[in-house]
Amino acid sequence: MTEGALSDLRIVELAQGIAGPYCGKLFADLGAEVIKVEPPEGDRSRRLGPYPDDLPHHERSGHYLHLNTGKKSVTLDVGVTSGQVVLKKLLAEADVLVESDGPATMAGRGLAFDDLRADFPKLVYVSLTAFGCSGPYKDYRGNSMTAMAMSSIMYNTGDPDREPLSTGGTPADYIAGIHAWIGALAALAYREREGAGQHVDVSLAEAAACADEYNAAMYAFQGAIRRRYYSRHIFGYPMDIMPCKDGHIVLVPGAAGFPQRGLTTEGAVSPMSLLLGDPDLDQNPVFQSGQQRMINWRQFDELVLPWLMEHEAKEIVETAQALRMPFALVPSVKDLVEDEHLTARDFFRRIAHPETGELTYSGPPFRMSETPPQIGRAPLLGEHNEEALGTLGYTKDEQAILRERGIT
Amino acid sequence: MPKPLEGVRILDLTQVYAGPTCTRILSDLGAEVIRMEAPSRLDVTRNLIHTDNDGQELPWERALYFTIRNAGKKEIVVDLNQERGRELLRGLIAQSDVFAESFTPRVMRAFELDYEHAKQIKPDIVMISLSGYGQDGPYSDWSAYGMGLEPASGVAQLTGYPGGPPLRTGMSFTDPYSGFLGAGAVLAALRYRARTGKGQYIDLSEQEAAVPLAGAALMDFAMNGRLPERAGNRSPWAAPQGCYRCKGDDDWLVISIGNDGEWASFCNATGHAEWIEDDRFADVLARHQHHDELDRLIEGWASDQDHYEAFHLLQRAGVKAAPVLDGKELLLDPHFRGRGQFDTVDHPHVGKRPIPRHLAAKFSSFEASAGGPAPLLGEHNREVLGGLLGLSDEELAALEEQGVIANAPNLPVPPAIVSAALKLPYDRFLEAGILRAIDPDYREQLGLE
Repeated sequence: MTEGALSDLRIVELAQGIAGPYCGKLFADLGAEVIKVEPPEGDRSRRLGPYPDDLPHHERSGHYLHLNTGKKSVTLDVGVTSGQVVLKKLLAEADVLVESDGPATMAGRGLAFDDLRADFPKLVYVSLTAFGCSGPYKDYRGNSMTAMAMSSIMYNTGDPDREPLSTGGTPADYIAGIHAWIGALAALAYREREGAGQHVDVSLAEAAACADEYNAAMYAFQGAIRRRYYSRHIFGYPMDIMPCKDGHIVLVPGAAGFPQRGLTTEGAVSPMSLLLGDPDLDQNPVFQSGQQRMINWRQFDELVLPWLMEHEAKEIVETAQALRMPFALVPSVKDLVEDEHLTARDFFRRIAHPETGELTYSGPPFRMSETPPQIGRAPLLGEHNEEALGTLGYTKDEQAILRERGIT
Repeated sequence: MPKPLEGVRILDLTQVYAGPTCTRILSDLGAEVIRMEAPSRLDVTRNLIHTDNDGQELPWERALYFTIRNAGKKEIVVDLNQERGRELLRGLIAQSDVFAESFTPRVMRAFELDYEHAKQIKPDIVMISLSGYGQDGPYSDWSAYGMGLEPASGVAQLTGYPGGPPLRTGMSFTDPYSGFLGAGAVLAALRYRARTGKGQYIDLSEQEAAVPLAGAALMDFAMNGRLPERAGNRSPWAAPQGCYRCKGDDDWLVISIGNDGEWASFCNATGHAEWIEDDRFADVLARHQHHDELDRLIEGWASDQDHYEAFHLLQRAGVKAAPVLDGKELLLDPHFRGRGQFDTVDHPHVGKRPIPRHLAAKFSSFEASAGGPAPLLGEHNREVLGGLLGLSDEELAALEEQGVIANAPNLPVPPAIVSAALKLPYDRFLEAGILRAIDPDYREQLGLE
């Protein structure tokens, strides 16, 4: 295997679920040694599924397999002193700790940042929590949906007469995992210069709020409060998912898709009118003015929907792209896996696992020419206990005692 | 306190959202970021929504969208369609650590400024391209907006009301998402360079970047050939989970209850202890089965509650809940404010404004805050081209004369006409429900006056 960008790093991941493990996955895919410390019963995501044939099995959970590629698994009960002793030995050899239990729980175990800083002055200690380690809501609990609610993104997603919608999946978990990864890398860069580790405090709520496109800014610069309106931008209409003959497409004509007053050459037909095969549409007020389209969007829809319903997604998007309009497809996961573009880029990976056989996994989120990210397989529960504890100097007999007492 | 990227220079040709988010984070971490725009092709966000909905005589300096995303950066304006302009850029590549761009792939190839050329100028350069569909493959030359890429990544198929069509998030979701990942990728590449002396090329496709978000759905398809159903705000891991209307005209509260203990706490906190005894909701399975009835009961309770007060009430009882904040509430929330989510910057043409952080990490040894206001068009032409390339005042004047560099855009019409055309009809937006409200005294409410 070629060297990864982060092959010199060792990460201890004391985090369950989705956010912390996604942070760990980003490290692992770039070559870091990620030691995932799981409670003896296993990471929570081993119980989240989905499972082959819907038969629950802690080694076959889709969530766990996806989020823990390329890591090592060590089981350890960090709630008891004997487990804490082992964890500290692991930390002595580690560059980064990622924890998602929060400062109160970690302090109860004697594992808070302040408890460890004297013994591990170079350790980068990342806390990943719902609301952060300080501030009035620091003890509050949450998940991806509460973070999306706090971020203002949810308020602006959905239909105007219905409840706000959280984006599908658990996006705030992933966003927070990425921010924890960036924070750890920044703290490591700081350590290269200054020699010391530090605490990095990342919350799901703030990570999601960092993705707010312009809701806070509209108030800060205009006093205007944006509201959900079919998830639309206020920059113009349409930039939306619309139905077509065989599914949906994203109709985004872009700045040059409609006639542009003063800029369009005399006699030229706009790309949207060319697409729909009717040059006269350029004379229609909803084609001539973006503001007209925002207000009278139903009129616009009446003009384009009959045509869309007669054409297939692929044909519409390819024709629009040839006219330099940034239309897009709306693939399902099946469409993605079968997509000719992603296939040509070898995006998806076939990964073998002893309990599930070979499955198709998501590829890495970016490519690197010198150090291509690698997707390994997820570990079995406690698969690396012997290797990790052996490296720390525990004898076989000592490992047996720890195992029998339920410490590992 | 020093910042970790002090001494790192980033040449930034990115535009709009994903790329500027990536370099804004690196700037907040201490890097010197030099943005470049072209006199005839400004960053399009300089022409999107202006301060107080009025671009006045300088619309390109009053765009709020540009201002928040480019805080703390420097800027030069160079015409890359002229060979002399490309020569200037090559000179800057030679003195940079990172080179970032976000055009469709053919653009950099046409300018002979793609990675193959850049590394000849600076062998250890870290170059990142953020594009819609990546640098190769059949869709690589497709043009792309952020609003199209969330659906293209598969995420929109997971979002929507039950039984309804796929929905976009109310923003260009994959743009910031890709920008975050890009910032981390650059940090990883810089770490590798520090260790080995080698630069490299990062090809970030916004479509691919967001696919892992659908990881569990991909797994279900791989394992069982099954496609997910859109579930609104519901979850297989919590019931009840949902978004409930509160007192007020459009105030909402989300609640997520995972286990029996949380359910009991919720019932007691809301004054409905009788629900604990109700057979329909007695255990986890019953609560999943009777979710619709639960929703009606919870709505009945919530409709008399203030969304913020209900949030505190439930959280103090140990129940996961949150108010659905709008842009104003987000800005004024004491927790976000107290933790420094917003930095106040003073910009010569828009005044003092709170602008949001782009990196959520709070560091114990330094502050990853905005390095200053966004730059004016061409503000650093002299500093950068004079300082780094050693051009004299005479040479700079000649370049300005030839239109190779500039500090004003080439506009087809006077600025005031541009500003008038870009004014959004907010009165009509209010009427249509596209805006919730406009507060004329917002500066006072924000404590800016």
